Amino acid sequence: MNLVLTIVIKTICSFFGTVAFGKIFNCPRNCLFKAGFVGAVGFGVYIVLLSGFGVSSMLSNFAGTVALSVCSEIFARWYKQPVPVFSIPGVIPLVPGLPLYRAMNYTMQNGYSMGMHTFVSAALDATAIAMGILLVSGLAKVYKTSKRLVAQVHFHDRL
Amino acid sequence: MESTIASMSKEEVLKISLTCGKLLLTSGAETYRVEDTMTRICAERGMHIAAVSTPSWIMVGDENVDGTSMVTRVTRRGTDLTLISEVNNISYHMPRWPHSFAETMAILDELSSRPAPSPLYSMIWSGFAGGFFAGVIGGGIWDFLAAFLGSFLSMAFIALVRPFRPSSFWETTMAGVIICFVTYMAHLFIPEVTMELAIGGGIMPYLPGMAFTNGIRDFMAGDLISGTSRAGEAIFLVGGIAIGIAAFLGIMYL
Repeated sequence: MNLVLTIVIKTICSFFGTVAFGKIFNCPRNCLFKAGFVGAVGFGVYIVLLSGFGVSSMLSNFAGTVALSVCSEIFARWYKQPVPVFSIPGVIPLVPGLPLYRAMNYTMQNGYSMGMHTFVSAALDATAIAMGILLVSGLAKVYKTSKRLVAQVHFHDRL
Repeated sequence: MESTIASMSKEEVLKISLTCGKLLLTSGAETYRVEDTMTRICAERGMHIAAVSTPSWIMVGDENVDGTSMVTRVTRRGTDLTLISEVNNISYHMPRWPHSFAETMAILDELSSRPAPSPLYSMIWSGFAGGFFAGVIGGGIWDFLAAFLGSFLSMAFIALVRPFRPSSFWETTMAGVIICFVTYMAHLFIPEVTMELAIGGGIMPYLPGMAFTNGIRDFMAGDLISGTSRAGEAIFLVGGIAIGIAAFLGIMYL
C-alpha cells in the first residue's frame, strides 16, 4: 500500500514538474497539460517497472522512454503539433539528475570507485533513454514513408 | 485556391524559407526539421533547392549557374516551443497561402520580434520545476522548498549576468555552485532538508535534456554533424554542472 502511494505521489509530481518545464520552454498554452501527461506516462511506466516489479534501472528507463515517445508521436498527429512540443518536456523526468550529484559526492569524499560506479550507471541510463528515442523516432519515420509508398501504389493502380 | 507562393520571384521565396528556417533554428528545433521546412516551402514554387543547416548556420541555394543562394548565421539559440509550433503551422498552410510577400515577411517579423519572457517568469517556473523534481526523486515538503529556492536563486543570478553574455558553460557551472550553497544553508537551518534530494531536484532545470533529445533525433535523421555537435553540447553542459557541484562539495569537505 505504501509503495502504491509513493508511486502515485511521484507520478503526480512528475506531471507538475513537466508542466513547469513546459512553461520554461514556452510550450503552446493549449498543449501544456498534454505535455505534462506525456511526462507522467513516461515516468509512471519507469517507476512502476523499477520499484513495483524490480526491473533493472536501464530496462525501465528504456521502457519509460518508449512509452513517452509513442505517446508524443500519437499526440503530435492527433493535435497537429510538431513532435518536440510534447517530447522535449516529456523526457525531462527521466534524465538522471540525482545519480550525477551522488557520483560527484562520492568522488569528492575520495570514494573514487563508488563515484565511477554511480557515474557509469547514470551514463548507461542516459544511453537507454537515447535508445528509446532512437527506436521510436526511427519507427515513426518508417511508418510515414510506408504510408507514402502505399499511397503511390494505389495511385498507380488507379491509372 | 491557388497559393500566392507560385507568383513570387525566386529570391522572395528563398527569403521566406530562410526566415522560417532561422526562426526554427533560434527556437531550438532539430536541424532536419529546419531543412525539411525550407525545402518544402521552396518546392511549393517548383524550386529544387539544397538547404544545409547545422546548429549555428543555414545555407540555401540551387545548382544553377546563375542561381541565387543565401546564408545566415545563428549565434544565440533558446527554446521556444510556441514559435516552432507556429512556424510549423505556416509551412503546413503553404499550399493555400493567401498572403503576399510583404505580408508574409511582416508576419514572420512579428514572430521573430516577440519579446522574451521576463526573468521573473523563468525564475518562478524553474523554481517550481526544481521543487517538483525534488518530489519526483522522493523528497518531502522541505526538500521541495529548498529545491525551489535553489533553482529560483540560481536562475536569478543567471538573469543578472545575462547582459554580460557569459558562455552557457560558465552559467551552468555557477548555477551548480549556487544551488549547492543554498541547499547547504537550508540544511544548516532546517535539519529536515535532505541535501541529496534537494540538490538532485534543484539541478534539473540545468540538465541538457533538450540538447540530448534533439541530438539523437538529428542522428536518426542522418544529420551527423548536427547530431555530434548537439551531443557534444549536452556532454559539455553536464560536465559544467558536475564541476559546479564538485567545486562546492570540495570546499565543504575541506
